Amino acid sequence: MKGLSSLERIILESIGKQSLVYEEIQVQTGLHENVCFNVLQALVIRGLITTDGVRYKISNSLSPLLLEEINGIAAKQAESLELMEAILEQKTGRVFRLQKIAMDSRDEKIFLAMLSNLESFLVDAHKKAHATIPMKERKVIFWGMGEVKNAMSQIVMGN
Amino acid sequence: MTLQQKTLQRYRLLFPNDTLREISARTGIQITRVFRLFNGKIMKVGELEVFEKVINVKISENPSFASLNTAVEEASSILTNDELAKVAEYIKRKITARTYGRMYIRTNYESAIIA
Repeated sequence: MKGLSSLERIILESIGKQSLVYEEIQVQTGLHENVCFNVLQALVIRGLITTDGVRYKISNSLSPLLLEEINGIAAKQAESLELMEAILEQKTGRVFRLQKIAMDSRDEKIFLAMLSNLESFLVDAHKKAHATIPMKERKVIFWGMGEVKNAMSQIVMGN
Repeated sequence: MTLQQKTLQRYRLLFPNDTLREISARTGIQITRVFRLFNGKIMKVGELEVFEKVINVKISENPSFASLNTAVEEASSILTNDELAKVAEYIKRKITARTYGRMYIRTNYESAIIA
């Protein structure tokens, strides 16, 4: 598999710049202990994190090739789809709207400005609360816009 | 990886918690022989067929598998190389996520000895 799975990314993001013990990572991510252990082992084997047997931290000697592999566009796209699919399959506790909207150019500009505001709001909210809210309690938020004709063409032609 | 190793690995993935006794009961192969096979002794064709049969019976319990097989065959002749890569990547992601959810399964046959 190219890139990272969402589970792997969650663990890497939980560790961040710190050096955490297994229990701390498990509390942060909320993963079942068995899953958490398996993912950690896989990350150690891939050389993405290092451990002294007790603490885990992100390896500081990641090659540019490896960084490209885990943060490349294709890998990120696949990872986003994985997360979005998981959200869509949730029966409760999620909000999802997808609509085809008729929008003139003026309204489109207004909408884009609103998206920009939304992004600023989210950045601020994250800055304010990221130190206190563990990874498992954070929200997954996604938004976007595209053209129907381009999407249809993409679906038919596959490119 | 030889055909025998692949077959035993698939068996282990489908029946991760089977003990030697259970494998023996399921396949009809003697328990000491099962132990030897999981430790690298070369299989007879008949034994390979028995393992394949058990695997296929297990797989056929899931009706979506036949549908997936048909879809893959069709896709291989219709989709572009890039699209096939995306489908493969999607399936691999599903497998990775599920593998993390299982108990750690060794790719060698130590687990059989422990069992």
